[in-house]
Amino acid sequence: MPDVVASMKRFEPELILTGALLLVVVADATGARWRDVASRILTIGGLALALVRSVELRGGSAQVFGGMAVIDPLASFFEALLIGASLLVVLAFTFRNSRELHGLGQGEFYSLMLAVTLSNILLATANDLAMLYLALEMVSITSYVMVAYMKGDRMSNEASLKYILFGAVSTGAMLYGLSFLYGLTGTTSLPAIREFLAAGVTDSNRFAIYAIALLVFAGFGFKTATVPFHFWCPDVYQGAPTPVTAFLSVAPKAAGFAIMMRFFYTGLAVPRTGPWDLAGTIDWVRVLMVVSVLTMTVGNVAALTQTNMKRLLAYSSIAHAGYIMMGVVALSQNGARALMIYLLAYLFMNLGAFLVVTLVHLHDGTFDLRDYPGLYRRSPLLTVAMAIFLLSLMGIPPLVGFMGKLYVFAAIIERGPAYFWFAAVGAVNAAIAAYYYARVLKTMVIDTAPVEKPPFRLAFPDAAWVWILLLGNVLPLVWWARIDGWARTSLSLYAGP
Amino acid sequence: MMVGLSHYLVVSSALFSLGILGILTRRNAVNVLMGVELVLNSANLNLVAFSRFGSGNLQGQLFAVFVIVIAAAEVAVALAIVLTLYRLRRTPNLDETDILRG
Repeated sequence: MPDVVASMKRFEPELILTGALLLVVVADATGARWRDVASRILTIGGLALALVRSVELRGGSAQVFGGMAVIDPLASFFEALLIGASLLVVLAFTFRNSRELHGLGQGEFYSLMLAVTLSNILLATANDLAMLYLALEMVSITSYVMVAYMKGDRMSNEASLKYILFGAVSTGAMLYGLSFLYGLTGTTSLPAIREFLAAGVTDSNRFAIYAIALLVFAGFGFKTATVPFHFWCPDVYQGAPTPVTAFLSVAPKAAGFAIMMRFFYTGLAVPRTGPWDLAGTIDWVRVLMVVSVLTMTVGNVAALTQTNMKRLLAYSSIAHAGYIMMGVVALSQNGARALMIYLLAYLFMNLGAFLVVTLVHLHDGTFDLRDYPGLYRRSPLLTVAMAIFLLSLMGIPPLVGFMGKLYVFAAIIERGPAYFWFAAVGAVNAAIAAYYYARVLKTMVIDTAPVEKPPFRLAFPDAAWVWILLLGNVLPLVWWARIDGWARTSLSLYAGP
Repeated sequence: MMVGLSHYLVVSSALFSLGILGILTRRNAVNVLMGVELVLNSANLNLVAFSRFGSGNLQGQLFAVFVIVIAAAEVAVALAIVLTLYRLRRTPNLDETDILRG
């Protein structure tokens, strides 16, 4: 009991989110005319308060709730990142500027949003196999509902069904793997598993652990949309309402990487300064390296021929998952830091790109790239903003996307000549990616439409949020030392009692 | 004959394989969901068997209880989606839900 009380104190942001979630549900249930406004204000207020408390409570490293979760600097970093992502999505994407969500009930949407945020954080702080599985499923189940939010829309429902079936199989395989991991090690706690493995494994057990790691990776791969668990991604991103797509492409992906890193770094590796050791000489790094190479190649090559913007950005997000995974593969302090920096940069560039896509859909009612010609003359701000976001996704200096790529490639090259081919594959992929991003730019700026449509002006809040996300791609470089320092001090993982 | 750990593991792997087989071969979405249930329950059987015969602690049984709850939640959401899709398309078959592709 004292443990639970002490844990509650460290769990304040999560408790605030839970409270806000309950209030939103109650406000929506009143049926009053003000319920939409109230649920929006409650959501924004709850997220902002949770973000502030999360930053204030930062520091220290401790297990909470009997070792089910762990609050360490890494968890605090992801807490802030995940709450921040939800806050940006809620503020920038509204029911007014999304044509797809227009006229639908808001209370349910915001309560789902808070629930996903809460479960994202739980996923990033999980320290026990049971907690890991619970949080992963909680993220998944709430996202299924969000994807199907347009009840009368066939695409939205079909996307959700594909998402559910794919997710159920992946997480089922993961659970089967987790059950064997428990059977083999006799514990569900990640640090205890590491201790068991570090004490030495027999050859037959080593084979079993390889198989287990592959099964468990099915769950992480599904959450982060990496090959060969990426098939749901383009369909779901295309079918879901765009605000949901934007959210899914950043927050659950970040949480997925957080738990992937936590599982492999605390469960299957022994920390030290510089490159870490593998626990029980189980070489999962090689497997993840192959997955990373396949992920970025498949994502980039498939994106080359896409004409639907949401599908194009879906394949681009698969490719980015490949780059982010380079940080996990590096298995060092710098690799972990690169992963964090990349996810932070990815938040601003990807949300920005999706905001532009949403706003074009609001004015023109289209997601098709073939309807984008002449956009430059119709809305210069939107075109310039999209150019910045795409250049950032490409990794062009001096934008944040470049810093993300710089950190991951540096972390890989630092591991020595055996990793050079891997970095080279990444570089070739970045070049392929530049082609299709540039194609979007060319369509917007150079191509002319057969029928010139009249120019349009963005509403004030939309224009303001385009500007904010645009500055989010440029301004962080001014305070780069602080951001780098934040990531550097967030590196310590909870390693055991 | 004493029923031991290996008996449970054989049953659970059979369940897992049958579940995957059902998921891969069935056209009807509801049947696919039944396959998913088999997969989850095979893992449950593993967890409980390992808890009883292997580790000697109760973590596995606790885990299994949570998995049962999750499985129920997942199927509830999945069936709701299948129903809305059925209202829109008049078919529960997965090979006919194919407007998203490319």
